[in-house]
Amino acid sequence: MNYEGVIEQSSVGLKELVESGEEIIGYIYPHIPLELFMAHGFTPSLIRALPGKASGFEESLQTFACSYIRNLYSQRANGQFLTLAGLLFPGNTCDALQNLGDVWKVRFPDDRVFRLTYPVTRYSQDDSTTKFLTEELRILSETISNTFNRPFLSESYDRAVELVQDFRNSAQFLYSARVVNPKIIPYTEVARFVRTFLTAPTISSVSAVKDAASTVRGTADELGLVDTIETVQQAIKSGNYSGVKLPDDLGTPRIAIAGGMVEPQAIATLVNDMPDISDSFIVLDLLSFGFKTVFTESPSKSENPFLAMAQSVLSAPGEPTHEGLSYRMNAMKELLSNLSIQGLIVCEQSFCDPDQFESPSIERAASKLGVKTVRMPLDPELSDRGRIETRIQTFVETLE
Amino acid sequence: MTQERPSEEKPYRRLETQSVLQQIAFRHGLEAMEASENGNLAWVTSGFPVEIPIAMNLGVVYPEQAGAIIGAQKIGPEVSNIAEDLGYSQELCSYARVSIGSTEKPEEVPMGSLPTPQILLACNNICGTVLKWYDAISEMTGAPVFLLDTPPIEKQQLPHNQEYVRRGVERLIEFIGSNFNRKLEEDRIREVAELSSKATRLWIRALEACKTKPSPLNCADRFLTMAPVVSSRGTEHCVEFYESFVSEVEERVKNGIGAIRDEKIRLLWDNIPPWHTLRFFNILASRGVVFPADTYTHAWTGNMVGVDTSSILDQVVGTYSKVYLNMGLDAKVDKMCQLIKDYDLDGFVMFSVRSCKRYSLGQLVSKEIVTERTGVPGVIIEGDMVDSRVYNAAQIETRVDALLEMLM
Repeated sequence: MNYEGVIEQSSVGLKELVESGEEIIGYIYPHIPLELFMAHGFTPSLIRALPGKASGFEESLQTFACSYIRNLYSQRANGQFLTLAGLLFPGNTCDALQNLGDVWKVRFPDDRVFRLTYPVTRYSQDDSTTKFLTEELRILSETISNTFNRPFLSESYDRAVELVQDFRNSAQFLYSARVVNPKIIPYTEVARFVRTFLTAPTISSVSAVKDAASTVRGTADELGLVDTIETVQQAIKSGNYSGVKLPDDLGTPRIAIAGGMVEPQAIATLVNDMPDISDSFIVLDLLSFGFKTVFTESPSKSENPFLAMAQSVLSAPGEPTHEGLSYRMNAMKELLSNLSIQGLIVCEQSFCDPDQFESPSIERAASKLGVKTVRMPLDPELSDRGRIETRIQTFVETLE
Repeated sequence: MTQERPSEEKPYRRLETQSVLQQIAFRHGLEAMEASENGNLAWVTSGFPVEIPIAMNLGVVYPEQAGAIIGAQKIGPEVSNIAEDLGYSQELCSYARVSIGSTEKPEEVPMGSLPTPQILLACNNICGTVLKWYDAISEMTGAPVFLLDTPPIEKQQLPHNQEYVRRGVERLIEFIGSNFNRKLEEDRIREVAELSSKATRLWIRALEACKTKPSPLNCADRFLTMAPVVSSRGTEHCVEFYESFVSEVEERVKNGIGAIRDEKIRLLWDNIPPWHTLRFFNILASRGVVFPADTYTHAWTGNMVGVDTSSILDQVVGTYSKVYLNMGLDAKVDKMCQLIKDYDLDGFVMFSVRSCKRYSLGQLVSKEIVTERTGVPGVIIEGDMVDSRVYNAAQIETRVDALLEMLM
């Protein structure tokens, strides 16, 4: 199935929800507390860049706006958004998204636009960062409550915590299983589960990933790999890889995909469309809409849900929009060396400051470990698809 | 004080105090080199509360200013190339690229490379790029980065935002203290804050003098004379410079002498200037176009006076959080409309700077709103402040001509 087909399929669940009267709040930046929206009775849905939406932005954004925001704006300008109750923009993540939120409010005054502003500080050695985000979440909740007359319900919050936790546990297991044995489940399938969940975090989307995790667990059990997989899962979560010992007979090549707000499913289908190549060379991705979402800690059902959600959001693996380049590079080096990664495909969206600033550092860090890299400039339209495919194919061949 | 230069035929008048700038720049360069050799040099972003490192006796330099110098020397593309060879995309901020390039090969950039920093101080009130840029410099030099995070605000700064930034300022003092084994002394911060505010007040006086007709200053004058308020505020010599600068400006006002000889059209400039082509303003001067106001040089207008350390830090929090680039599109539109009204301007030119997304994205929308609210026309021209490869002079001329035709 091509990428457009995959998108169409994963949107079906969302369309059905809308038709059944569910109200959707869209969001753009991956690290949001899904539980907060669910506690107010809304379904949060990740709004993504789509292929084939290359124009429509020109009246409001210059061509040097990042390809991601141009794509989002074009979708909205062309009337291709589903009916949303509201749309959440991030604040303080990158300049392009910051300004897009402002432009959006002017151009689409009937849209209900909310903003969640994030702290960039990650290593303050005190609780100022958590306190700031906690208050931001409380204010957001109050705004939603006042706007829609829908209060924050503790029971709904508790159910949401369980649902999201179930998803994360299962998805983390699948990610970890592929690190140990990439053939145990295709990367495409894992990417599809994550995509479907982020599009519509419902009981059925969680059931699908739980079922898959259960099946993979069964297979892993037969292969005697369950303990190793669980060790890898814990190691990735804690950043401590001392207990990890991967099997000796790992297949090659073993490649990871690095980058930011690039759709894992886009990469997966791109690879699967290539002749004579399977996606089993992809051991894991480190992308915002994949790994970084999956390996975020879930909030607890605490007395202060806003604090719990803030702690959860801040536990996500670091983005280039945060402080701490050296922490991120060290974490990545640990992961690459301990998970026997041989190659790294570094995706960078055109005109994306965070991606393009981080890529040279990633390249240098990987090079110090002897991990080969290839940089992959791309846009959500995959407008240069032929070249991208050739680069990936050549890179894989050099590692075989 | 104001004397005509021999070049009487030129459509603009050169400021006497401009020559003092070179002395200040020279002195500042020497001080920075000495600070670096003594292990005391901070690189600082232009929106950083520089009063704190200065009060803690660090030398400071501004890579953005160095970028402007590189741009003005027209070597932006060559220095950018060095960074691009290291893997930094040509789509990134050109200030950052030339900073990375000149750090990598300082010998190729005699004017514009900065002495090695011991600490990198960034504040994201002007853009998010500064952190990533300083992270890159940190990787190259080993100097640690401190980010003062000032989350963008809408309309007003909420208490939790204020508290968070305040804690950031306290952490900054701790960070400098632990890296250089020193404390912030109350007498010293009061002195520096007083000097900083004094320089800023003088700067504002010069800016406001441009409300008169003819305007005593044009854009290029302000872009050049803003250097000390950016790089040396909080020092005695900065105040001294602005005292003589204001005196010259007010003398011009008193005698009805304009920055250009035949002022016909008064325009607002939006954004960073094309440092490589400052003659853009002089060319327009020959057609009677003056720019009495701009959004860029009006960014350095904060006040820092307080009775004790705590009240000064509160001022720091408010002033540096409320930089209008940190307050969204509405604040920028308000600022432009206010300047157009206060300075009685006929139109505006928005420079869409490919490097600077925070400043530039949103201009297409704000142009419409500003015209709607003020009734004056505007034009958007596109290019870059340092990288002349993406500056199309012919295209820009055509666009500006179209605006002038409307106004003539």
